Amino acid sequence: MPIPVTGSASSPRLLCVRVEDRAGILQRVTNCVSRRGHHLLSCAVAKGPEQGELRLWLRVDTGIQPPEQAALQLRKLIDVVAVEDLTETGVREWTLGLFEFRAPFARGLEPELGRRGAQVVERTPERLVAALGGPPPALDAAQSVFAGLGLRDFARGRPIALQPAVPQEA
Amino acid sequence: MSTFPAFRQDRQSQPELEVVQARSGAEVLLSALVGQGVDTVFGIPGGANLPIYRHLPQFPIWHVLVRHEQGAAHMADGYARASGRVGVCMATSGPGALNLVTGLATAHFDSVPVVAITGQVATPTIGTDAFQESDVIGSCLSVTKHSYQLRDPGEIEEVVAEAFQVARTGRPGAVLIDIPKDVQQAHLGDDRPLGRLRRHAAPVPAPEEQIETAAAHLSLARRPVILAGRGVAIAGAQSTLLKLATKLDIPVGTTLLGTGVFPNPHPLSLGLVGFMGTGYCNRAVTDCDVLLMVGMRADDRVTCRLDGFAPRAEHVIHVNVDPAELGKTVAADCPIVGDARDVLERLLAQVEPSSRPAWRRQVESWRLRHPLRHPHNGRLQPQQVLRAYYARRRPADITVADVGLNQMWAATGWSGDEAGLFLNSGGQGTMGFALPAAIGAQAAAPMSRVFAICGEGGLVMTVQELATAVEANLPVKVLILNNRQLGMVRQFQDDFYGGVRSQVDHVVTPDFPALARAFGCFGEVVEDLAEVGPALDRAIAHPGPAVLEFRIDPEAGVFPIVPLGGTLSEFVECPYP
Repeated sequence: MPIPVTGSASSPRLLCVRVEDRAGILQRVTNCVSRRGHHLLSCAVAKGPEQGELRLWLRVDTGIQPPEQAALQLRKLIDVVAVEDLTETGVREWTLGLFEFRAPFARGLEPELGRRGAQVVERTPERLVAALGGPPPALDAAQSVFAGLGLRDFARGRPIALQPAVPQEA
Repeated sequence: MSTFPAFRQDRQSQPELEVVQARSGAEVLLSALVGQGVDTVFGIPGGANLPIYRHLPQFPIWHVLVRHEQGAAHMADGYARASGRVGVCMATSGPGALNLVTGLATAHFDSVPVVAITGQVATPTIGTDAFQESDVIGSCLSVTKHSYQLRDPGEIEEVVAEAFQVARTGRPGAVLIDIPKDVQQAHLGDDRPLGRLRRHAAPVPAPEEQIETAAAHLSLARRPVILAGRGVAIAGAQSTLLKLATKLDIPVGTTLLGTGVFPNPHPLSLGLVGFMGTGYCNRAVTDCDVLLMVGMRADDRVTCRLDGFAPRAEHVIHVNVDPAELGKTVAADCPIVGDARDVLERLLAQVEPSSRPAWRRQVESWRLRHPLRHPHNGRLQPQQVLRAYYARRRPADITVADVGLNQMWAATGWSGDEAGLFLNSGGQGTMGFALPAAIGAQAAAPMSRVFAICGEGGLVMTVQELATAVEANLPVKVLILNNRQLGMVRQFQDDFYGGVRSQVDHVVTPDFPALARAFGCFGEVVEDLAEVGPALDRAIAHPGPAVLEFRIDPEAGVFPIVPLGGTLSEFVECPYP
């Protein structure tokens, strides 16, 4: 005692950040993360639960810095309403992917899309676009399979998540 | 003090001066500043803030016209440190705004409340790379607590109120308000929408269990040490700190920014901790079993190598108003988020008086074994100059140190029993800070004598502000410890970089007395110890700004010093008898 405070070489955190929806807020948040020497791995943005708010999901690698620092520093920003560290909370992450296939379509494509619950959102003689939502590992697996079925392009959103429900006490 | 700032004289002779009815954005801004109690602003007009300056004479605000915007920010900083109020600086867009950045960083890193108001190009031209356009918001993100770019004059009043609140509450810091020129010129209608003023909650008092735990650790400690930083001064907790230390018989060291929060000399004073701290303080921290750190950050200049910082401590209690500072560098088993005064008062109420004679004897033996000393080689030593200066110090005098060897000599030699009288740039270590900050401090405290302690390297970075001091009738006294070198860099090169002296010699330095006289100041050069005192007396007696150049031993260094990468206990003492 005391020991130097450091994180592990790679300490990815998933943070849910509620912010006031003001001009420049994304710049403030990302600057705060990078200024502290952290690596911003991904960022997803959506409207927040309150009017005038946004909700951001940041995946941040704090590297050798103490992992709590990312949330602590973000909480200091004036436009930040709340920060939840969802790491290790058993949170359910969800992401969305759009997958484009070009004609001629592989014979097994549509059965595979159906098997995975993908929704065809555009179909022309030249191309087919399917949407698929799910946990990131499920989309990783689907993408791998689609690659063998004529996948030409894809767009993947970054994960979003909600805090798991707090169990009711007896 | 024989002189007053011209504005204060004007105010005394013009009591009828009143705030005019606000109409344009510029007028609303100035009215809002007056409403926040602002009576002094440091700045320079330029193309993008001329609407503000057009109306400035109508308001009871003393504007100190600086010579460089960095000086304006440092002056606002010095004003805030000396007064405890929010300092305000102004600049135009583009280079004017960007010149503020170093000064804002200096204030922000030392938790000083400063509000900077910058002009910006007109709203329709933002983003077009217009003349003197710069992204000052983006440039200042990491050196401000918050920033605003206004697009509607209806926001001004609320934003100014919020900016001042943000700057001074919680952990104080710098705030930037960027106002496009058309917003300054726009006139408000009667139906202007009222903005929403966000309230920033005061820190929640620390839980009682944490106070009880900390009190128990301190009471049971055999070798306790308290380290105190500027947060103690910000919270106004100096007297409580003294009572607690006395009640528990605990030695107290201070950080560089905490200089003055504990009386020095005092039987319990350990002086400065850290990289260039006293040997006895560093030894005490190394050997302590319980460490209370209050109102301080524990940065690398304090801790040196982390695994050697308080290695025998069984308990570390860290008190800071900023939760992000707890556990950032040093793991504390008793972290307490809270205002230093609140926490110390509650600790004081919890503990019983105790004494630790064995530990005090040990600390005293270190004090005798590791005294502060300097060479006696016939050359003028900086410590001799400072001893003569401090001997002439009055209780309310303000000392502003620049950065480098002069800063450490001034800090280790400082004596007094009141916080807020020794100002320096601790976090950023900004060379050139002292002169403009001293001017700002003098503006805030016209009845105090204000002294800037500089090296010649730092002074020439902002020396043009001597013109500001003369013009504004602010009689600061500048004491230059001239070693014709970038002294601290030279010492580092000697001690840690193989003795290769690279680009540290100032072959050409100005004739400082002549330079001072060119600006309209008193100026003298001193080379002999016998002349130090008389020269100081003449400079002090001069009614206006004065510059004294002391040609000191060019080889003088700071001792003790912890080698780079070393632990607190590995400090190196002065090699000369």
